[in-house]
Amino acid sequence: MNKSIYVSVTMVAIILGLMIALQFRTASSIDRGVPYGREQELTVEKRQLDRDMEQLREEVADLSAKLEEAGKGYSEATDAFNSELLKIKLYAGLTAVEGPGVEVILDNLPENTRPGVNPYLSPIKDDDLLKVINDLRGAGAEAIAVNNQRILATSEVRLAGNHINVNLTKLTAPYKVTAIGNATTLKSSLEIKGGLVEYLSDLGIVVKVEAKDNILIPAFTGVLRFDYAKPTQRG
Amino acid sequence: MKSFHWMVAVIGLVLGIMLAFQFRFTREIQRFESVQRVQELSTEVSQMKKDRDALQTQVNALRADLDKATSGPQTQDLKEELEKAKVEAGVSELSGPGVEVTLNDSNISLRPGENPNLYVLHDEDVLRVLNEIRAAGAEAISINGQRLLATTEVRCTGPTIVLNKNKRLAPPYVITAIGNPDTLESSLKMKGGVAETLQFWGIQVSVKKMSQVTVPAYSGGIKFEYAKAAG
Repeated sequence: MNKSIYVSVTMVAIILGLMIALQFRTASSIDRGVPYGREQELTVEKRQLDRDMEQLREEVADLSAKLEEAGKGYSEATDAFNSELLKIKLYAGLTAVEGPGVEVILDNLPENTRPGVNPYLSPIKDDDLLKVINDLRGAGAEAIAVNNQRILATSEVRLAGNHINVNLTKLTAPYKVTAIGNATTLKSSLEIKGGLVEYLSDLGIVVKVEAKDNILIPAFTGVLRFDYAKPTQRG
Repeated sequence: MKSFHWMVAVIGLVLGIMLAFQFRFTREIQRFESVQRVQELSTEVSQMKKDRDALQTQVNALRADLDKATSGPQTQDLKEELEKAKVEAGVSELSGPGVEVTLNDSNISLRPGENPNLYVLHDEDVLRVLNEIRAAGAEAISINGQRLLATTEVRCTGPTIVLNKNKRLAPPYVITAIGNPDTLESSLKMKGGVAETLQFWGIQVSVKKMSQVTVPAYSGGIKFEYAKAAG
């Protein structure tokens, strides 16, 4: 009888002690925690910075080499200029490029284009194409074109009546979006569960994504005009 | 007999507190390490950002030097071509007239049962605004100081958006665009236009015409791993 009292008193006291200490601990440590995911975020940011810096160093080496070349004489300077021009044109989308990638074909269901047949279905809108382009960019696409209209930094995708304007050129369905990059990454970024292919199919749009070993994406063919933007002294 | 009871109780209490503290210390050490790790990482990252900016400045200076060194033999046409290509590629800092568009999350207070998702700024909304600005003839665009390239994506992650692969931006989003200020403003503000649609959901949109705005060059490296010049 006595023994069991000792045991239970001891147990109660231990539990009480634990509770007091735990209470103290929670109260004192609330403001010390690290927000969840912060470390991961920083790690990712660091990796991206690493990549940026590596690319910038390559750029520095490339420019320095050209600069040195240019100092040698007239014809070397011309060569250096031309190769710099080619590089910048490549970045800007003013050069035709080829490489592996995906071809995405978007088309309306036959009943989709006739109004009134099914009010829940709608023909392809500019928003749909914008989303496809944005997803491909996010998956690392290096060059994109819609029906062979190269997408530049200044390209618009805009609904105008029954067609869509890209680079002020009228395009009509079916729309063929081509992108160069890692074909597997590009394809899966669109086909992921709950992703764009699923979303667009629900809207009654026929989407076909195909990985290709080699895709040719043409250069921008329009005329570049900059009436307002002027380089600053620093640029 | 009674004092013996008390002694057992006190010993038990002390034992319990000791156990809990022990447990707490072990946990605390781990937690402390992770705080330290994050601090280290964030100093490292900010140092790297400085290094990156220094490299970027170096690249810009080298480009300017190269322009000077090669300008002699080139015709005016070729020089202009390079200048335009640089503007389109986003590697030069530009200034000119334009607009400043500020976007911020909704200030409408929700009634219970309403879908809060409708009142939050989405990547799609930003995409739509950008598209409208491009259609109105913007020549160069940046968001919160990040230059928009042909390859720039806009992604929502929680309350922030990510673009140019890993540049994280927090609201308010300030879009700076160079172009005809009147055209840019009216294309956004037109009836049934993008500003009106967003304002319906309480998203704060303001468009300011500016006589002079500056759009920075892309900060970071550009490299094509897959795309090669054709032909």
